[in-house]
Amino acid sequence: MADKTFIVKIKRQQRPDEAVRWEEYELRYRPHMNVIICLRDIAEKPFTRSGSESTPVSYEANCLEEICGACAMIVNGKPRQACTALVDDLEKPIRLEPLTKFPLIRDLQVDRSSMFENLKRTKCWIPIDGTYDLGPGPRMSPETQEVGYALSQCITCGNCLEICPKVNEHSNFVGAAIVSQVRLFNMHPTGAMHAGPRLEALMGPGGIEDCDNAQNCVKVCPKGIPLTESLAAVNGQVLVHAVKSFFRGS
Amino acid sequence: MRQPKIIIVGGGLAGLMAAIKVAEAGVTADLFSIVPVKRSHSVCAQGGINAAKNLKGEGDSTWKHFDDTIYGGDFLANQPLVKGMCEAAPAIIDLLDRMGVMFNRTPEGLLDFRRFGGTLYHRTAFAGATTGQQLLYALDEQVRRFEAEDKVKKFEGWTFLSAVLDHAGVCRGICAMDLKTMEIKTFACDAAIFCTGGIGAVFGRSTNSVVCTGSAQSALFQQGAYYANGEFIQVHPTAIPGEDKLRLMSESARGEGGRVWVPKTPQDPRPARQIPETERFYFLEEWYPKYGNLVPRDVATRAIHKVVYEMKLGLAGDPAVYLDVTHIPREVLERKLEGILEIYQKFVGVDPHVEPMKVFPAMHYTMGGLWVDNENQATNIPGVYAAGECEYQYHGANRLGANSLVSCIYGGGIAGTAAVRYARSLESGCENTSPAVYERERVRQQDISDALLNQHTGTENPLAIWREMGDVMTENVTVIRYNAAMQKTMAKLDELSERFKRINLQDRTQWSNQTLNFVRELGNMLILAQVITLGAIARNETRGAHYKPEFPDRDDRNWLKTTIASWDAGKIKLDYEAVDISLLPLRERKYTAAK
Amino acid sequence: MSVAATDSKTSYLLDKLQSLSGVIPIGAFLAEHFWSNSYALVSVGKYNDVSRELQQIPWRIFVETCVLFIPILFHGLYGIYIWWTGKSNAIGHPWMANWLYVLQRWTGIIAFVFIGWHLYTERFLGHGVTSYADVQRSLLNPWYLTFYIVGITCASFHLGNGLWNFACKWGIAVSVPAQRAAGWFGAAVAVAFTFIGVAIVLALHYGAFPMGSYVQ
Ligand SMILES: Cc1cc2nc3c(=O)[nH]c(=O)nc-3n(C[C@H](O)[C@H](O)[C@H](O)COP(=O)(O)OP(=O)(O)OC[C@H]3O[C@@H](n4cnc5c(N)ncnc54)[C@H](O)[C@@H]3O)c2cc1C
Ligand code: HEM
Ligand code: SF4
Ligand code: FES
Repeated sequence: MADKTFIVKIKRQQRPDEAVRWEEYELRYRPHMNVIICLRDIAEKPFTRSGSESTPVSYEANCLEEICGACAMIVNGKPRQACTALVDDLEKPIRLEPLTKFPLIRDLQVDRSSMFENLKRTKCWIPIDGTYDLGPGPRMSPETQEVGYALSQCITCGNCLEICPKVNEHSNFVGAAIVSQVRLFNMHPTGAMHAGPRLEALMGPGGIEDCDNAQNCVKVCPKGIPLTESLAAVNGQVLVHAVKSFFRGS
Repeated sequence: MRQPKIIIVGGGLAGLMAAIKVAEAGVTADLFSIVPVKRSHSVCAQGGINAAKNLKGEGDSTWKHFDDTIYGGDFLANQPLVKGMCEAAPAIIDLLDRMGVMFNRTPEGLLDFRRFGGTLYHRTAFAGATTGQQLLYALDEQVRRFEAEDKVKKFEGWTFLSAVLDHAGVCRGICAMDLKTMEIKTFACDAAIFCTGGIGAVFGRSTNSVVCTGSAQSALFQQGAYYANGEFIQVHPTAIPGEDKLRLMSESARGEGGRVWVPKTPQDPRPARQIPETERFYFLEEWYPKYGNLVPRDVATRAIHKVVYEMKLGLAGDPAVYLDVTHIPREVLERKLEGILEIYQKFVGVDPHVEPMKVFPAMHYTMGGLWVDNENQATNIPGVYAAGECEYQYHGANRLGANSLVSCIYGGGIAGTAAVRYARSLESGCENTSPAVYERERVRQQDISDALLNQHTGTENPLAIWREMGDVMTENVTVIRYNAAMQKTMAKLDELSERFKRINLQDRTQWSNQTLNFVRELGNMLILAQVITLGAIARNETRGAHYKPEFPDRDDRNWLKTTIASWDAGKIKLDYEAVDISLLPLRERKYTAAK
Repeated sequence: MSVAATDSKTSYLLDKLQSLSGVIPIGAFLAEHFWSNSYALVSVGKYNDVSRELQQIPWRIFVETCVLFIPILFHGLYGIYIWWTGKSNAIGHPWMANWLYVLQRWTGIIAFVFIGWHLYTERFLGHGVTSYADVQRSLLNPWYLTFYIVGITCASFHLGNGLWNFACKWGIAVSVPAQRAAGWFGAAVAVAFTFIGVAIVLALHYGAFPMGSYVQ
């Protein structure tokens, strides 16, 4: 009995400055396969459908359970995590492309360090006095914790940036993920004491005003983070901060 | 005063905590990690972190936490540092709380605690179902803050290859490879702290992340670092088998009434639902009528292993058993198990409300690791420190649930502080080390890469070798260990090491060549596999996670000692060291009765 | 790269002004404009009275420049710039809000062209004096009529959807239910404005006075 097979098409580019090519692979179907398994199959037998020898595909992955954020790519046109992209649920042939809003490294691998850089720029941390024992942190109601916990699950995958019409070469919008993190730190009792500088960082070009409410981010977030709420909330915070600091001085 | 230089390799919980301590001491830290530190394996931890805060009026204490840890570890852990960890744990929770971890709260706004395996107390703080992620992010944010102040410099996307040791065998730097440009460079430092995490990949598939290969530990081992208690590997009884990864299925599924069974007929081709009750073998319930499906982790693990490998009753085609919750009313499932059943649905694409889940034990954690001393997390190589899952210090023969996160943070903190102290005490720092020392190491590493890249006649596929290694390790060196089978495993590992010499790289490019990196890791994994297997063969007793049917009892007279593997001119040598049991007297570890 | 990238506060201020100008004064003026033109549904006399009243306000050119011309020019031109900074992907990802994003831009530009032409024909060609008869004459042309209906629909849609955007972007509607409510409100405004605007031009076109009974 011949094995059931299916086709995977991959957009490949050996280096950022080299030509793009699409390669097709024919893989043996097994139940419960995901895109990562497809890529491993190819690594084990890097021969395209037409039989020519290629190289294993470069991609990022670590946790394989949708919690590290590494494996974001475009699967059948949609940005998502490859480790939860089950072959059974995908239309064939499966098309894999790298995220387009980040500098390409190789094949399906891109450089998302700008997101970490933006977390730095927006001061997304709680400034503690030191690691010595200063007793428990501030009290927090379970309700606040629930909202905060939802926000703090962002895995910096970048899908929300990939899908956003306002992230492109004409606009360096930081993206919903970063704005949502600012909301998280501004709602923490200690973080709230230092909300000003975070809001100022979001006032400039690439900041919150670049959001034009297409609301795509929330559709692709693998963690179901309420991004549109975060954007609206931070928009309000920035406005209040701007008005206050104009009239009262900051 | 000269400004010392510290390098930290690994940015999981342990590495980040070390970086924070180093930066806080006013010393700049260079932080190396394969993956962006925020994507480190620590994100995977779900359950929680232990600390005897005694916020539930149960009379819990750090001493009891200490006792549980030592008892759970079957008395193989050196006691003083474990005691230190348990005493420090409540303050660690407070620190994390101050850093903004969104821990679950009580109505009064205080931290909530849950009960975990191996204890009678509500001692485990948790943040939803993703505690590890939340803790890692909190430390990541603090490190980012130091990064913004130029106190930490990150080298993400670099892999550690080897330490730079001077003529006296003192660590003066590291040699690392940029995974994008494939450039190999040396970096000078006065002390290096290793926090490179677990070794799951040695077993092929495990509950660990992809980068948990133990490659760094193995490289250090081959440079003279001791590797301790390698044979102690924790296996989790219920994971969701996957071709790419074995994903954890929480114990709570059984806690809520889930039943474990296999069809009585080997290789029964019928779907689970069509197999009548009378033809199902509820082996846990039958073998352990008192505890049934809720036997402790290691007992369940061994039973499942036996059913599959010895009785050959695994599910048709899969080494797996059924974990069945289909008989539990849907409302109950939805209320109590929703999160974890969703994971199953997400990755298997099958609805566990309708179809029994297929689960199997999975390699989960290594208790063994780089040998470190009893107070400073210092390895036997001067200037090299280790913390986190990559060292052996805290968990003895078996780790208690939710104790790893706390040991990572505690150990990382100690290592950071100790490394700074050591670096400051040096009479002559790395700036006085001859450039030739660095160049020699760089060339040695470059030669290894070049040899792999230039080998055109190879026929062996790296992934195939890896899989074979993982299969044989999983079958013979995890749950149930027979000396004969492990001897065969050694022979297999020798064979694989031979075949490794004929490896075909398939990708000879010099740009983000992930195959080259993987092959280099694979070489190191093969050696670590031997360390683990040899240690297991030698230890003729049963202790904690190490179970030998031929030697079913703990043998304190002969084996209350730490295994110390060392690299002796290309051979693995085993020595032993006495365990420090100065604080708690030995007693038998029994799961059947209250302790 | 960006025209607004002078310093951080300026770009924020310009963005906020563009957003605000859509509501006040442009949106508010649109409401007023539909209100005063609704007299065409009542009677010629009433319509001409109200028109004359408006055409004879003090400081007229100054008010028109500040409240109308500059805001519309600013809102429109800056809006085109904002449009340029985005790269729509609604075809590949046809979610509703994503389509609204695209429609907001196209309806804006159509409204802009329409308003420009409307101002030119009705305000400047007539030197600021127009009567019921003048307007009716233009609207008898079916092409003009069509363009009016398209322009009015686009402007109304743009205002309604813009109000939803505004509610989200000024942090007025934060929660998902509040944003949904704002969306319904915007939709209601769009429908109401389209209805009223189209009713006005049709009444003018046919010379009908459906509310003529109000006049004794
Ligand atoms: C599924 C799962 C659930 C768990 N749940 C719990 C729990 O509930 N409670 C608990 O206490 N413990 C739990 N554990 C265990 C715990 O998560 C780990 O032991 C712990 O996170 C290890 O942290 P670490 O800092 O030592 O290493 P890691 O987080 O694994 O980090 C290792 C770091 O080293 C880097 N690195 C590795 N090799 C190199 C190299 N060669 N060069 C450069 N960098 C390198 C990596 O990039 C990474 O940054 C769980 C483990 C698993 C697998
Ligand atoms: C009838 C005239 C107009 C009215 C009533 C109007 C009204 C509005 C309103 C209320 C908004 C929402 C503001 C916000 O997003 O916060 C808006 C946004 C916008 N308008 Fe207009 N507008 C008009 C004309 C135009 C014109 C001529 C253009 C030019 C193309 C235009 C382009 C835009 C754009 C691009 C936005 C979106 C801005 C953003 O989302 O940040 N508008 N408009
Ligand atoms: S907000 Fe969601 S989509 Fe965006 S980076 Fe975070 S997890 Fe990914
Ligand atoms: S590999 Fe971590 S999210 Fe997919």
